[in-house]
Amino acid sequence: MPDLAIDTQQLVKQYGDTIAVAGLDLKVAQTTIYALLGPNGAGKTTTINMLITLIPPTSGRALVGGYDVVTQAAHVRQCIGVTFQDIVLDPGLKGREILDIHGRLYRMGAAQRRQQIDLLVQLVQLEEAIDRPVKTYSGGMKRRLELARGLLTGPQVLFLDEPTQGLDPQNRASIWQYIRQLNQEQGLTVLLTTHDMEEAETLAQTVGILDHGQMVVEGTPATLVAALGADVIRLRGNGHDEGIQLSLQQLAFVERIEPGGEAGLWHLFVDDSSRRLADIITIATTNGFHIEAISVAQPSLGDVFLHHTGRALRDP
Amino acid sequence: MVYATYVIWSKHMTKFFRSAEQVIGLAVQSVLWVLLFGVGMSGFIGTVEGFDYMSFMLPGIIALGALGGAVGGGLILLEERLHGVTRGYLVAPIPRLSILLATAWSTVTKSLFQALLMLIVGLLMGAHLVVQPLGWLVAVVLMICFALGFSGMALAMAAQSRSIMGYHGMIFLFNLPLLFASNALYPLAALPGWMQTVVLFNPTTYFIDTVRMLVFGIPPTLPMALSVGVLLLFALAGIGLAFLSFRQSLRA
Ligand SMILES: Nc1ncnc2c1ncn2[C@@H]1O[C@H](COP(=O)(O)OP(=O)(O)OP(=O)(O)O)[C@@H](O)[C@H]1O
Ligand SMILES: [Mg+2]
Repeated sequence: MPDLAIDTQQLVKQYGDTIAVAGLDLKVAQTTIYALLGPNGAGKTTTINMLITLIPPTSGRALVGGYDVVTQAAHVRQCIGVTFQDIVLDPGLKGREILDIHGRLYRMGAAQRRQQIDLLVQLVQLEEAIDRPVKTYSGGMKRRLELARGLLTGPQVLFLDEPTQGLDPQNRASIWQYIRQLNQEQGLTVLLTTHDMEEAETLAQTVGILDHGQMVVEGTPATLVAALGADVIRLRGNGHDEGIQLSLQQLAFVERIEPGGEAGLWHLFVDDSSRRLADIITIATTNGFHIEAISVAQPSLGDVFLHHTGRALRDP
Repeated sequence: MVYATYVIWSKHMTKFFRSAEQVIGLAVQSVLWVLLFGVGMSGFIGTVEGFDYMSFMLPGIIALGALGGAVGGGLILLEERLHGVTRGYLVAPIPRLSILLATAWSTVTKSLFQALLMLIVGLLMGAHLVVQPLGWLVAVVLMICFALGFSGMALAMAAQSRSIMGYHGMIFLFNLPLLFASNALYPLAALPGWMQTVVLFNPTTYFIDTVRMLVFGIPPTLPMALSVGVLLLFALAGIGLAFLSFRQSLRA
């Protein structure tokens, strides 16, 4: 295996006039967990679809596990595991049958199949449901079955498109733990997309934020957050928005002021929030801005996301 | 490829046998067609060229069953495509052709069951079998070719359709005319001249003509070698067409 588990060069995917992926250079080192973030329609799923050989790139090149996704697609398929963003399960089959068929398509031996299936079913806590038809599953159970399927064949590179959406916190946490364990013990490389900042922060060693099909920023969660500056004050209220923005901007201790993704919400990046809070309240009030709520926090990955995409986590 | 085809085929069969609706539907349909077409028509036609109409008609009814089966097979592919199940196969290390072959084979398997059932009902209703096991074997092979060919055509359409409604529209265009523009209902010689030409472009004609001879001993109107050749070619063409259409649909 080469150093980079995933390596794309100027990868482009165009649908008619829509450019879904616009010249992406994505590098994911061996044995890392990489989280791809981005607003709806940023091109995350399209990128994954090209990497898993489902759709051909319009131009550019992509290597997975050192193999070209176009010219060596068969090799790529052999070394990847995938869970799709939407649920794709045969409703008429039982959970165990779905896993078994999947294992057979990858030519796993019967004994190995049985052993792996038992292990994974236990992990995703589907012991009771596994011999029932999938159409009797809840949404979260289907998701868990899909995860088990993605992991069944022992892939070297695992692609997870919003893997834990719709899962309850307990299941989410146990899946995170297992993914991390596979990553540490077996050197599994994971590329996941998510809208869940907590997921990205807890799981990923590297985070990339995609917008309009291009990489906006990339780094470890800690460096991305650190780059934002010291503290963030979230100010919510109503009044003369531009006026307040201008007058706060002039304060020496305010590094930056950004819209918070919804009307009346502002994020102020300041050197030391606890000392500056009183000043900010005074200035806002004297400028005719009525404060409804104010809070102080360390910047989070969510703030990084907002800062670079200028949008709330989901499109308004 | 053979193994992947087998795995997906067995999945289709599991799903089929698990769905009582489908199994019973297929059985009832088979019985009804034999009764309606065969018994109904043989009531007022009686004999064709000295053979009972039931024997004459049965190969045509079986062909009709296979046509219906092919439509159903296309529907399976279409549903798997629309629901995304196909995507799972596409990222697995298996040849793409095996996805199609598996669907075509499961269609053929069901058609063979149906044909057997129709044959039994037909015999009970007075059709006369000739005892020549080798001929039966050839008839089964031809049946497979015939069903494969039409499955291929249905799959080719299903690979391109964007919706179930659209698919049915396309299918309707070719399903019924195929039965009527053939020798299923009348002997070839009884058709007007221009119609005979049209009918000779229809693989159904060759299938029916040969099966009549092999299973019911009704003298063929076409050389058997020609019929066998046409049907083999038809099977290959059908699968080839399905493959091209499917591959093209993946280039989006
Ligand atoms: N088959 C397609 N035909 C036309 N346009 C498409 C197709 N698939 C995706 N797109 C477009 O490409 C862009 C990127 O879509 P993509 O699904 O990759 O976004 P995403 O980042 O996965 O979004 P989400 O967070 O909502 O899942 C969107 O503008 C979308 O409309
Ligand atoms: Mg997506």
